[in-house]
Amino acid sequence: MLEIAHLRKQFEKLLAVDDVSLTVEQGQIVGLIGPNGSGKSTLLNVTAGSLPADGGTVTFDGHVVTNRPANQIFDLGLARSFQDPALFTRMTVLDNMLLPVPRQRGEAPTQAPLHRRWRGEERRAATTAYNLLQQVNLQTHHDRPSADLSGGQMKLVALSRMLMGEPKLLLLDEPTAGVAPALAYTIFERIAELRDAGLTFLIVEHRLEILFAFVDYLYVMHLGKVIASGTPAEIERNAYVREVYFGE
Amino acid sequence: MQFNLLATVVALLTFFGISAIMALSLNLQYGLAGIPNYGLALFVSLGAYTAGMTYTRVLPLLAGREAIYPCGAGLGQALQVRSEIMRTLPVVGWSNFLLTLLIGALVGGIIGYLFSYPALRLKEEWYLALVLLVGSEIVRIIVRGYEPIICAHNGLSGLAQPFRFLGNAQLANSSFAGLVLLIAGLAYWYCERLVRSPYGRLLKAIREDEVVATSLGKSVPRIRGQVMFIGSALAAIAGVLFVVNLGFASANDYAVGLTLDVWVMVVLGGLGNNRGALLGALLITILDRVTAIAAIQLNMLGYDWEFNYVRYILFGLILLAMLRYRPQGILPEPTRTTDAHQLALGTVK
Repeated sequence: MLEIAHLRKQFEKLLAVDDVSLTVEQGQIVGLIGPNGSGKSTLLNVTAGSLPADGGTVTFDGHVVTNRPANQIFDLGLARSFQDPALFTRMTVLDNMLLPVPRQRGEAPTQAPLHRRWRGEERRAATTAYNLLQQVNLQTHHDRPSADLSGGQMKLVALSRMLMGEPKLLLLDEPTAGVAPALAYTIFERIAELRDAGLTFLIVEHRLEILFAFVDYLYVMHLGKVIASGTPAEIERNAYVREVYFGE
Repeated sequence: MQFNLLATVVALLTFFGISAIMALSLNLQYGLAGIPNYGLALFVSLGAYTAGMTYTRVLPLLAGREAIYPCGAGLGQALQVRSEIMRTLPVVGWSNFLLTLLIGALVGGIIGYLFSYPALRLKEEWYLALVLLVGSEIVRIIVRGYEPIICAHNGLSGLAQPFRFLGNAQLANSSFAGLVLLIAGLAYWYCERLVRSPYGRLLKAIREDEVVATSLGKSVPRIRGQVMFIGSALAAIAGVLFVVNLGFASANDYAVGLTLDVWVMVVLGGLGNNRGALLGALLITILDRVTAIAAIQLNMLGYDWEFNYVRYILFGLILLAMLRYRPQGILPEPTRTTDAHQLALGTVK
């Protein structure tokens, strides 16, 4: 579903992503790990269109998306999260959820003042959003400003919000950062549920004890390159990975 | 002290209506979409300059007369023709007025979009603010020196409001005040419906974080361009109403001070709140009129002091005080956009 081939990204003298190739098959949860500064987030940013690539290609669902604007890549079904929850803090939780809904008639300035034109659509989207919030036990917070939520709650809302855009593949950047262990497991259990429902994931994560329990395949990056790939068991046994990541 | 109370109230309502449209324009662009339009006066002036062109070139043609060049030697004759048409041919006068509103809105909107097209793609917001501010001044200076538009620094008179044919000045002015308030009401209706829709939600998201908004499938430059078009068109409509109310077009009326006045209105009333924009427009209009009347009356009583400067000091103090103690304004922005919350719960159909 996602194929990254020989991707390069340079910032002045720093080669942040150096000839990286990886594949994510449909229905997989693929992990991307590595020490800080290994280029993981940069890889995600280039893949999602937030940064331009300096070389290589990204192919998603048969479309070459290299250097396409991020909003167009989202429309094709590739959604990404950020390290911080990136909710719109001055909007309610439900308004945050409704933003990514595609092809909203009410988002055209000619149709927006004519409320009857989009009310039915809004009702259906609001019901879907409310149900998604119910699945993560946050439905009672739908009317609160999102700034009032805890960090973990924000992460769950951010994940649920991505689903409103009808994605096929989700790029998650440290979805459990700053979250208590119990809630971190809850987040990954939710990810697994969504994978079982047909979604695909590429996840950057540092909490290996949680990640290894859920992923199907892993890539390890170091200094901008992929240094290893394999199942969690294979990665755990890889001496070079142990040396680079854990200093063993 | 003697003054005509009815005339004062009518003038105040007219200025309020015009100010309300400008405040709604800026509230849409900055309050909701986060576009720092420090060149609002430019788009107001485009409406005024459009009126200058239509009243001198189109109005005579609509009345089956020759369009005389309005500046220089033909100034007097051209003015006479304009005045006569507006006094005696109401259908022509109204047709020209409505055409001016339409063309003014289109000119303002298109220029607003084009002017900001490169600037909206710049990463730093202050670049956009600077481009609009400088652009506004450049256009004003050009028009002040370029005769064919409004006779350069001399200005252009005889741009009468469409009720001029009524003969009775009080009746004509009162009727025009009603029309201005109607247009302001329509502008409020449109802006409020826009804000309380998915489009309003979209604007707020882009205002807060355009990177995240883009990652959720939104084309930020396109949407900001739309907002510049809509807001600038509204500002140009205000410019048309302003100049036909005054009866005179001068580039000096569209300096940076006009932009700052409108900023004070929206900051005072409440950024992101259309009712706040109306409230701010009302309060500043009252303050403006009161200080203007006080200045005239004090001068008539023989005081040498230039009371008009009190207005500038007051506006500055209001701005500073609001930003320091109540940045959300008198009426803060509502948190909800649509009634999606009730729709989701099924409490409203």
